[in-house]
Amino acid sequence: MISGPNRFIRLTAAAAIALVLAACGAKQVVVQGNFPKPLMEKTPLTLGIVYTESFANHEIYDEAAGREETDWLVKTGDAQVDFWDTLFGGMFTRIVHIDSHDALHAVERDVDAVIIPYVEDLQYTIPLHTNVKVYEIWMKYRFRLVTIDAIHDHGNGELTYDPNQSLADWTLSAYGKTPTAFLQSDEEAVNLAAVVALRDAGANFATSFHRVPAVAEWLDTKNTIKELPAPQANNEGNGVSDDSESVSL
Amino acid sequence: MNRALRTLPHRTANCRSLCYGSALTFLVVLLQGCVTATVDEMTFLEPTEGIGDSSVVILGRRHAPDYETEFDFIECIGDHIRRGDNSITVLHELEFINMMYPWFEPRTAPLNPQDIDRLLMQEPVANQFTDIKLEYMIWIDGSTIETNSSGSMTCGVGPGGAGCFGFGTWGNASDYEATIWDFTDQTEVGRISANTSGQSYMPAVVVPIPIIAPVQGTACDSLGDQLLDYLSATR
Repeated sequence: MISGPNRFIRLTAAAAIALVLAACGAKQVVVQGNFPKPLMEKTPLTLGIVYTESFANHEIYDEAAGREETDWLVKTGDAQVDFWDTLFGGMFTRIVHIDSHDALHAVERDVDAVIIPYVEDLQYTIPLHTNVKVYEIWMKYRFRLVTIDAIHDHGNGELTYDPNQSLADWTLSAYGKTPTAFLQSDEEAVNLAAVVALRDAGANFATSFHRVPAVAEWLDTKNTIKELPAPQANNEGNGVSDDSESVSL
Repeated sequence: MNRALRTLPHRTANCRSLCYGSALTFLVVLLQGCVTATVDEMTFLEPTEGIGDSSVVILGRRHAPDYETEFDFIECIGDHIRRGDNSITVLHELEFINMMYPWFEPRTAPLNPQDIDRLLMQEPVANQFTDIKLEYMIWIDGSTIETNSSGSMTCGVGPGGAGCFGFGTWGNASDYEATIWDFTDQTEVGRISANTSGQSYMPAVVVPIPIIAPVQGTACDSLGDQLLDYLSATR
C-alpha cells in the first residue's frame, strides 16, 4: 500500500506522464453543429437520398509529418448526414432515405429522382501548417442525380446503381475558415471551420442546383424550374458522367 | 448631407499606484494603453424621428480571403446601440444569418443594395423580411490586426515560487467601415469609417503587468456612437 508523500509523488508523476502522453496522441474532432433549414421555396419533387457508407462515416486521418506535429482525425460523417438532411428537407417537398432493400421497394413509385452525395476530397490547415492565424477546411463534393430505376437491389442487402442512368453528375466545392481566438483549442477551431464549410456547401448547392445544366434540363421536362438569385461561385463539372460500370452504394 | 471628419485622441492610461496586494489585480485591469481614433462620417436621409418599431441588423463582411470581420466586434456595436437607445431593435447577427440561411453566407450575401431585389423574388425570404420589419441593414467591413511586437520575457518556476522578468510591447490597428443600407428604398444612405491604433505594453518584474490599449473597443465605441447618432431620435 502506498501512503503519505510517496503516494502524492507517484500520483503527480502519473498525472504528468498521462499529460505528456495525451499531448503526443492524435487530435480528434467529431464535427458537430446546429444547421438551419434553408429559407426558400421548395422544389416540388420527392427526392430519394442515398448516403453511402463512406459518406455517412466520412473521416480524414492525417499523419503527423514531423515531431512537432500531431496526427489528426477529423470525423465529418454524422455532421454531413445531419446537415444534408436538413438542407434537402428544406429544398424539396419530400425526401426519403434509401438505405436498404425494403426502403427501395417502399418508395420506388413515389420518388422523382435519387441524389447520391460523395465527399471527394477534404483538406484542412491549421496555423502550425501555414503560419497564418486561420483554421481552414476545404471540401469537394460530387453529386449524382439518378433515376430510381438506376438503383438495383441484388437481394443480398447490397444496392448498386448504373451510372449510365444518371440524370446529372456534378461537383461543387466548399470552404470554411475561422480565425484563431483566445482560449479556443485547435479542435474547437477545426470544428468551427468544418461547420462553416458545410454551411458554405449548402449555400453553394441551394443556389446552384437549378443551374446545373443537366439538372435544369431534367427539371424543365418536369416543369419545376424556379428562378433563383444568381450564385456568386461557379459550378465545377456540370456534365453527365460517362462512367459505364455499376457502382456499389 | 452631413459630413464630419473628427480625430479623437483617447488617453485612457491610469497610473495609480496602490500598495495593497489585493488591489493590484484590480489595477492591472484598469491599466490601459493609449489609443488614437479617426472617425470619418458621411450620411444622409437620417431618420429624424427615429426608426419606430422597425428593426436594424448589423452584419460583418466575411467574403475576403485574408480577413473577416469579427463576430464579437459586430456584437459590441449592437450592444453599444442598444445601450444608447433601448427603443432601437438591433437584431442579433447570428440569429439573422441563421434565419435567412443560405442568403447571407459569405458566398451569397448581397454586395450592394440592388441585390436585395433578387432576394425578395423568393417569397419565403420576402415574408421573413416583412415579419422582422427590417428598416436598415448595416454592413461592417474590416478587422483588427497586430502591427508590430518586440521585447522578451522570461518566466520561471522554482521551489520558492514563480516569477517573470522582461518587457514586451505590441501594436494593434483597427480599420472598419460601416455601410448603411436603407432596406425599404434599397439605397445606400451612409458610410462611417473608424481607424484606431494603439500600443500595448507588458513590463514584468516578478508579476507581469499588462497595459493594454483597447484598440478594437475604441473602434467599436466610435462606430457605435456615430451609428447611434444616425439611428436614434433622441440624440
